[in-house]
Amino acid sequence: MTLVALAFLGLFLALPLIVVFSEALAKGVGAYIAAIGNPLAWAAVRLTLLVAAISVPLNCTFGMAAAWAIAKFEFRGKSTLITLIDLPFAVSPVIAGLVFILLFGTNGWFGPFLIAHGMRIVFAVPGIVLATMFVTFPFVARELIPIMQAQGKDDEETALSLGATGWQTFWHVTLPNVRWGLLYGVLLCNARAMGEFGAVSVVSGHIRGLTNTMPLHVEILYNEYNIAAAFAVASLLALLALLTLAGKSFMEWREPELRRTPAAPSVRLHRERS
Amino acid sequence: MSISLRGVSKRFGQFAAVTDVDLDVPTGALLALLGPSGCGKTTLLRIIAGLDAPDRGQVLLDGRDASLWPIAKRKVGFVFQHYALFRHMTVFQNVAFGLEVKKRRERPAAAAIAKKVGALLELVQLAGAADRFPSQLSGGQRQRVALARALAVDPELLLLDEPFGALDAQVRHELRRWLRRLHDELHVTSIFVTHDQQEAIEVADHIVVLRGGRVEQVGAPAEVYDAPASDFVHRFLGQVNEVEVTRRDGRAYLGPLDITEALAARPSRSADAVALIRPHEIEVGRAPGGWPATVLAIRPIGPIVRLDLAADGLPAHAPLEAEMSRDRFAAAALRIGERVTLVLRQWRVY
Repeated sequence: MTLVALAFLGLFLALPLIVVFSEALAKGVGAYIAAIGNPLAWAAVRLTLLVAAISVPLNCTFGMAAAWAIAKFEFRGKSTLITLIDLPFAVSPVIAGLVFILLFGTNGWFGPFLIAHGMRIVFAVPGIVLATMFVTFPFVARELIPIMQAQGKDDEETALSLGATGWQTFWHVTLPNVRWGLLYGVLLCNARAMGEFGAVSVVSGHIRGLTNTMPLHVEILYNEYNIAAAFAVASLLALLALLTLAGKSFMEWREPELRRTPAAPSVRLHRERS
Repeated sequence: MSISLRGVSKRFGQFAAVTDVDLDVPTGALLALLGPSGCGKTTLLRIIAGLDAPDRGQVLLDGRDASLWPIAKRKVGFVFQHYALFRHMTVFQNVAFGLEVKKRRERPAAAAIAKKVGALLELVQLAGAADRFPSQLSGGQRQRVALARALAVDPELLLLDEPFGALDAQVRHELRRWLRRLHDELHVTSIFVTHDQQEAIEVADHIVVLRGGRVEQVGAPAEVYDAPASDFVHRFLGQVNEVEVTRRDGRAYLGPLDITEALAARPSRSADAVALIRPHEIEVGRAPGGWPATVLAIRPIGPIVRLDLAADGLPAHAPLEAEMSRDRFAAAALRIGERVTLVLRQWRVY
């Protein structure tokens, strides 16, 4: 059984990684550096970093707030909120992108108003940020809710009874209690934000140097039969994946509790609805 | 701090957790809220603390209406059943927390904080554990850290939710005595929740027995034990034998005993009467004139001996349980199967 599992892992995980790096370096290190140093490639890297730098902190804040509200308080519409948080996992990213086109595109609901006021959302950076945020919406909240629920409210109530303010309680008690879970969620959120293709592809318009993120740039290069360059940029994304995995393992080692939360969205949806 | 509750009620959806509770706790008391699970004792404690708001009624602290005060204003120390120690802080940091979060103007200097925390750790016998983390402590030690942390802010009222619930029997017993001594030293008004009658009787100087969210009886431990206000309290505080009262020719009997007068004087007016007798209230001997019975089983338990007795006229499946000291048992030299006579030193009908 172990052998089968290892063979499977090798075929589907290790082999593609090896292919990515070997293809990227197929025309030599010089070509690899040139492909990465290309201004258009750099523009894609910068845009990807910018999008992640905006969407990850926002979703981190939102995820923290939502998890806090859901885990520590009872209120009407709680289950609806949980369902809404799950929505991006359930909807295909392409559909999500199309929804943004329908809302903010030239012929969309708010399109004419936005154009009249000189605001571009679709086929511009704001659209890419919106799409990325939608897709990465659940990661932090989903990671924190079970942890916070398991911890209960006793620590917070103790802090309040000792005279701490709400902010002190959050900062000195709640946050340290979930720090590894939060970091874990941020890590997954970031990996997805940088790697997202479908939703971003629909809203970006593929304008080179302007609205091309790294995954989109890889696709364009590949479609132009510029295989080595495509794999060179792809190798950067693969590196990100490896770093994410390393970080994830480190945190799971630090906080064994995290190992119980499966990373696969579909599994999670099923589990947490019950 | 003295506490008064006036008509306090609290519902959770359809469930009435606490109904119309009136209660007065004098300053310096050590009071136990005693009752089976689901009787509303923890809810009542949380209402006094300000962690839950009552739907109706008032909470008076030192005579002032504190019903709407937040917990911080009530000057209470609250200790949770599972201690709720901050796991990322050392024992020292845990105890110092309430002092560290004070406003700059009120906050003691670092040296003063260290001194106070040191003194508190001394008080709870954990002076050597200041730099340890909660995960490195035993259950009893964690409980004492939680207590020291609560005491650090000089509360005028100490509230403890099932303080010994998660500990094993030996540690429980030690901590109970320790808490009793601590209270005698500090005189902080304290209320603790428990479902263990033994614990309530041993530690508290006042006991409030709760049933279904209502107060069933309030009194000193001896009062509640010796003069239970209802069969519920009688049953809940210690073991009881239950004997149905039989009626013949218009008179009522408990075994051979004519109890018609006692039955007429009982508070409840229900048709079927039951007598409750504690095991140690049954004297087993051989003198004629008692209630004849047969010894079914003999169980020595440490310093006492328990006997199962089939009393004449009672159903065989419900033997009476009697209790006597080891010495008395040795002197009487009772054997299984022997015919004996029982004298009921005390009993109550409900």
